[in-house]
Amino acid sequence: MKVKVVTRILEANERIAAENRRLFDEAGVYVINLMSGPGAGKTSLLERTIKELNGKIKAAVIEGDIAGTSDAERIGSLGVPVIQINTGGACHLDANMINEVLESLPLKETDMLFIENVGNLVCPAEFNIGEDMKVMLSSITEGDDKPLKYPLMFQESSALILNKIDLLPYTNANIKKIKKDAISLNPSLKIFAVSCKTGQGLNEWADWLVKRIKS
Amino acid sequence: MHEASIALNILDIAADNCRKAGYNRIESIRLRIGRASGIMTDSLLFAFNALKADTIASEAGVIIDEIPVGGICDKCGKDFITEEKYVLCCPECGSTSFNIKTGRELEIADMEVV
Repeated sequence: MKVKVVTRILEANERIAAENRRLFDEAGVYVINLMSGPGAGKTSLLERTIKELNGKIKAAVIEGDIAGTSDAERIGSLGVPVIQINTGGACHLDANMINEVLESLPLKETDMLFIENVGNLVCPAEFNIGEDMKVMLSSITEGDDKPLKYPLMFQESSALILNKIDLLPYTNANIKKIKKDAISLNPSLKIFAVSCKTGQGLNEWADWLVKRIKS
Repeated sequence: MHEASIALNILDIAADNCRKAGYNRIESIRLRIGRASGIMTDSLLFAFNALKADTIASEAGVIIDEIPVGGICDKCGKDFITEEKYVLCCPECGSTSFNIKTGRELEIADMEVV
């Protein structure tokens, strides 16, 4: 006997992601899923961004790491609500991990929630968590070959932030090549070149973010 | 990707659908897997065969329909299908503006039950 099934295998994750999305929409929170390899500067970008947005919007943060609370401590010292998720080995955040911590965040008093995914250029791109937008960060010191080596994340993201731009003179990275390859993978990708150390380019990124806020 | 947890999801969904249809043994499961889904089929089959013991799918085989990456070009309007996993430009006219339609599938199509 043949039984028709036609079910997406990751359906359970998609269902919870849709539930998260409903909660975010209800509370009027814009949610950013921030992804990158380890050490690209996700937490530094969040620190800088929160300072830039101070007084303009109310931010909250979920930190995803395999272990440790150092990221949450860095963000917490800025006075914004923050929750640390330790995945205990899992290489990405999934919708259920986010769902479990939402109760502990003041969503109604939040304009923008940043979810810092586990540092990994592969798996986070494959799991929706209920975000409005995926943003990826790639640092100049990682080299200029990342778009063609890890295409999915570049394709799934709405914005690409190229960090550590102040180090460009000390590397062989060709920023034009990064931009060209990223755009050929994703023609609608918005690209920002920034330095979280010097502050270069962060204004433009923060202004762009403010425009995303749900009214 | 995460072939073992995906194999577990497949077993759960298949067992659920089998029981709902009023049967209690699964003979085969047919999957549709897009070439750009990130799934390594050898690794998925290995995990499935290791995990199926003591389930109602313990004797089940898996048939995989591999779906190539395909889309439609915004510029020349042509539908295309490619052997590549990732498309950088329209294979017909070279435009970088196109929409991918197939190749990311990861689903159970149907199964044989008794």
